[in-house]
Amino acid sequence: MLKILNGGIEAIVEDWPGRLGYLGKGMAPAAAMDNVALEFANLLVGNPPGEAGIEIAGGYFEAEIGADTVLSITGTDMKPTLNNQPVPVWESFEVKKGDVLKFSHFSEFGFRSYIGVAGGIDVPLYLGSKSTCIFGSYGGFKGRKLQAEDVLPFGKPYQDLKNLPGRKLKKEVIPEYSRVWNLRAIPGPNTCPDYVTEEGMDFLFSHSFKIQHSSNRSAYRIDEVKGNFFAREDGGVGGSHPSNIVDHAYAMRGCLNVCGNTPIILIADGPTLGGYINVLSIINADLWKVGQGTPSRDFIKFTMSTQEEALQARIEQKALFTEKSLA
Amino acid sequence: MEQKNYDVILDTLPENESRLEVLFRQAGDGFLQVEYGREQRANLQDSFRIQAINDLVLAKNLNGLIETVPGIRTNMFHFDPAALSVRKLIGEIKEVEDSLTSIEDIVVESRLISLPIAWEDSETKKAVAKYVKEVRPGAPNVINGYNLEYMALCNGISVEEIKNKVLGTEWYNSGGGFWPGGGFFWPMDPRCAIVVPKYNPPRTWTPEGAVGIGGPCIFTYTTPTGGGYQLFGRTIPTFQFSQKHPLFKDSPFLYKSADRIRFFEVTEKDILDIFEHVHNKTDYQYEIKEDQILVKDYLNFYNSEEVQKGAKEFQEKQKEATKTAPRL
Repeated sequence: MLKILNGGIEAIVEDWPGRLGYLGKGMAPAAAMDNVALEFANLLVGNPPGEAGIEIAGGYFEAEIGADTVLSITGTDMKPTLNNQPVPVWESFEVKKGDVLKFSHFSEFGFRSYIGVAGGIDVPLYLGSKSTCIFGSYGGFKGRKLQAEDVLPFGKPYQDLKNLPGRKLKKEVIPEYSRVWNLRAIPGPNTCPDYVTEEGMDFLFSHSFKIQHSSNRSAYRIDEVKGNFFAREDGGVGGSHPSNIVDHAYAMRGCLNVCGNTPIILIADGPTLGGYINVLSIINADLWKVGQGTPSRDFIKFTMSTQEEALQARIEQKALFTEKSLA
Repeated sequence: MEQKNYDVILDTLPENESRLEVLFRQAGDGFLQVEYGREQRANLQDSFRIQAINDLVLAKNLNGLIETVPGIRTNMFHFDPAALSVRKLIGEIKEVEDSLTSIEDIVVESRLISLPIAWEDSETKKAVAKYVKEVRPGAPNVINGYNLEYMALCNGISVEEIKNKVLGTEWYNSGGGFWPGGGFFWPMDPRCAIVVPKYNPPRTWTPEGAVGIGGPCIFTYTTPTGGGYQLFGRTIPTFQFSQKHPLFKDSPFLYKSADRIRFFEVTEKDILDIFEHVHNKTDYQYEIKEDQILVKDYLNFYNSEEVQKGAKEFQEKQKEATKTAPRL
């Protein structure tokens, strides 16, 4: 188990792919904002894909280890230490009962860090997933972010602990981080010519958008679109603004919702239905980059993708989370 | 330079006697939106058909189909493209679409849930007061600490008539979403179709059980949350996270797609008592009747001279009222 000494800015229990099958019940999938970092954290400690770890956004998380086990840390380099000695990122290491793990804040690149634990975090499944939905206050550890005095139990290790410390990833599989996150995206369902002008779509696919400070686990807000964006005067029965539509389901995760003039990437804990248009969807294989985009600092850029490329990228990404990726 | 391809309609089916044009729109790798018609319209007839098609597609148990989210004029299909190609999915939906030649014979499995409501209760009033204090002082939709007068102004009728219209129709759930346990309820009787704008900007808090309306849709707030619907009263729990009450034992949700709700008036004390009997004593008996909608009967009712005449008269009043009601 792990005893939290300082929950930091936002540390939560998340698995992958989260809580699927409840969009029509108003429940977002939640799950890790950066699934690639979580899955590598799992691989390093011998867990099967999808097991729950701890997602740390921002930083300043501190915890005391309650049992001898093996951990891994992936994602942005928050300069983690164990008993004040630096520990490596993207590599598994041994910990002893009583050790204290500390994180500084997010680094020059990336925003979220993940802790993988041999056996995973043992919180109860809620509707099939261990993921926390912060905005609905359910799942994970008591439906909320971690705070001092919380005690998180570990699951039973999937492999002999003796064989786990010192596992590293091959250099070429460690994802590249940046200040400009290039997101491959597929246009639709509400695009030109009926909802948005061609210039409007061109603008989306040629401009770099700054991630706004108000971004969070349900919505990443970016720079506003201009007046020539919309191809219609109003939304008819859907409402007076051209971004309005008769309420429809949102392609959660990853669709770009246009709310008034503000484009918003709906993600993790986002709404599952509503009355605004959606003009593109980030491909599944690139969702992780959104989770590493740093609010108020980083930019995102959309690149057009086809269904075929997106499927290929999905298959290739899935293949990364096997022993073949270990050095 | 990349090739531009913003044409997202992957396929279509033509309009015929029983349906509108069907548009298959891509929505990323793993989602397909099926849209009915090109006009933004909110007709229950469309929803009945979408629900029937949805059930038929689900009955195929397609490998790779994760879930569907039917609505009033669209249905969203969520699938794993590695197991089910978007082309195959479209083919399966088209096959079902062509098999359903008339909506007259559709029978919608639709439970009727009776829900008590207390008008202008004090808990919901707190949410309205908090909004005026913290979000929008002088908000024109808040009159006497509530939104009922504003709803009346927007529709050109009295507060008493607003209440009668809320109580006077069954409200149909075209499919849920947005917030845990959320249902979007449309009036089945067009003579009761109140229409109001949403809060601008939205609230930061609404109590569990509050009942609100935005556009033509009623929403019963399932857990404490923000929100933008005009508030007029409070009903009983419609979602239970803990699943302690027997009704919620198998799932925390009360509502299913195609359910109907009908409100009956009670006192605030009754509502508070029921909360206690749902969440703590867990012995409240919900009034739920297994039932069906025969679409043919509904269409006869909807198209009858009396209903159409009444609906038109009300729409005229609404048109006049929107000219004078305060804008948000």
